[in-house]
Amino acid sequence: MRRSILAGTVLVTGLLVLLDLMIVNPSLDVAAGAVNELLVLLAAGAAVGGGATLVAHHARTLAAGGGDSTGSIVLLVGMAAILLAGLRPGSTGSSDPVVVWLVAALLAPIAASVFALLFIFLLGAFRRGFTLRVRETSLMAGAAAVVIALLLPVGGAAGDWLAAGAGWMRDVPLAGVFRGLLIGIGILVAVSAARSLMALDRDDE
Amino acid sequence: MPNLGELASYLVSLVTDAVGSSSMRLGAAPTVSILIVLLALLSLAARPGVRWTASDLGGLARVGRMMALAAEAGNDATIQLGSAGVSRAASATDRFQTLGALPLLGHVADAAARAGVALRVTTNDPVAALLAQSTLAQAHERTATPERASSAAVEYVGEGRPAAAAFALATAQPHGVAVVAGGLAEEAILVLDGVLGDAEWSLAATASGSQLAGPLLSGDASLVGPAFFQAAGEIGARGQARTAVLAANRLIWGAIGLLLVGSLITWAGGPEVAAFLTGR
Repeated sequence: MRRSILAGTVLVTGLLVLLDLMIVNPSLDVAAGAVNELLVLLAAGAAVGGGATLVAHHARTLAAGGGDSTGSIVLLVGMAAILLAGLRPGSTGSSDPVVVWLVAALLAPIAASVFALLFIFLLGAFRRGFTLRVRETSLMAGAAAVVIALLLPVGGAAGDWLAAGAGWMRDVPLAGVFRGLLIGIGILVAVSAARSLMALDRDDE
Repeated sequence: MPNLGELASYLVSLVTDAVGSSSMRLGAAPTVSILIVLLALLSLAARPGVRWTASDLGGLARVGRMMALAAEAGNDATIQLGSAGVSRAASATDRFQTLGALPLLGHVADAAARAGVALRVTTNDPVAALLAQSTLAQAHERTATPERASSAAVEYVGEGRPAAAAFALATAQPHGVAVVAGGLAEEAILVLDGVLGDAEWSLAATASGSQLAGPLLSGDASLVGPAFFQAAGEIGARGQARTAVLAANRLIWGAIGLLLVGSLITWAGGPEVAAFLTGR
């Protein structure tokens, strides 16, 4: 019974959103809008719950004196700073200059620094790949080397030939493989979504 | 008092009015195409397991054995549910991968519960955390190991892809079994390296088209592209409906609590909490 109610709810809301995608109707628009508003509300509830859990977890870590206490302190202080900046009396919320500064001057550079590690870790991943499966990783590294060679900033006739080769490589083999993958992913996403929508599982097969 | 004819006439006019006030958003051909694709998918969706050849995709059949070895060695297991989440601002395909990862989580959780291995699930989305908690609870129910439920934990690591990557790198340690399953983006290599690292056995699974190289390089086993969803379908989404019900119940209580607290704060003359949290 519980499963039928859930399946029915999912089916009705899913079809409502799908119909709104295809048909312009004021009533449908209002109903689909209401569903979306409810989703935003649920997500906001979950976000607050997640934040509270995060605080509780790190407060417990600090109280117990174990784990990474420095990390926990940094996280709690960071959360407190953002909340104070956004919720203090007179604050304009997420567009408040203090919040904007905290994001632009602290969060964004920290995130950029993390992503700057990508090159080093990519080399590490190749090292691990060569350890796990030499043949496949060699093929991947070879293909990457060819693409890098084709993209070398060389002038003259040789440069034109390399640029044309790089364009062909991107538009024909790479695009073909990528499209094939995307088609496969698209089909299986649609099948999985339909199974979820109809609450089908292994027991039904 | 209206008779049946008037009632029928009213219902017919209601439908014709609704049809009359509507128009097709995408035009005739795209709308019919979508409907035909949906109908064609229904036949596949009904019984995919017997239409497609089953194989040991991603070495998932080895999870039980590797978990037993982890138990003997005293190691733990970890699974990271990607960085797309369910309620985050990511593409629909990426977010759907988080749902696709739940059967994989259930499979790993079953093996961990049977072997008595501590399992830690990390995610950067609170909704995904709720779904994961329900999945873990069901795994212990399925395997009749409620006494081991306390050894499995779900951890929300904070919002954002950089948070997922930084957390993975900061908490890197050797695990018995390590799995990354779900939508990944530019942080893929960092997450994969941090979580899978020096694990005795690792599985990397994603259907994110631009990040297929990461799993191929980093995991002992990998599920990339369509194979990710195929493996999830072959494992089966046992109890997925119940997972959703349990998670939705918690979520609804959370939302009601948020509404009450937010309303009280606003009523008392405090700041607009909802506007700040939703960035409006």
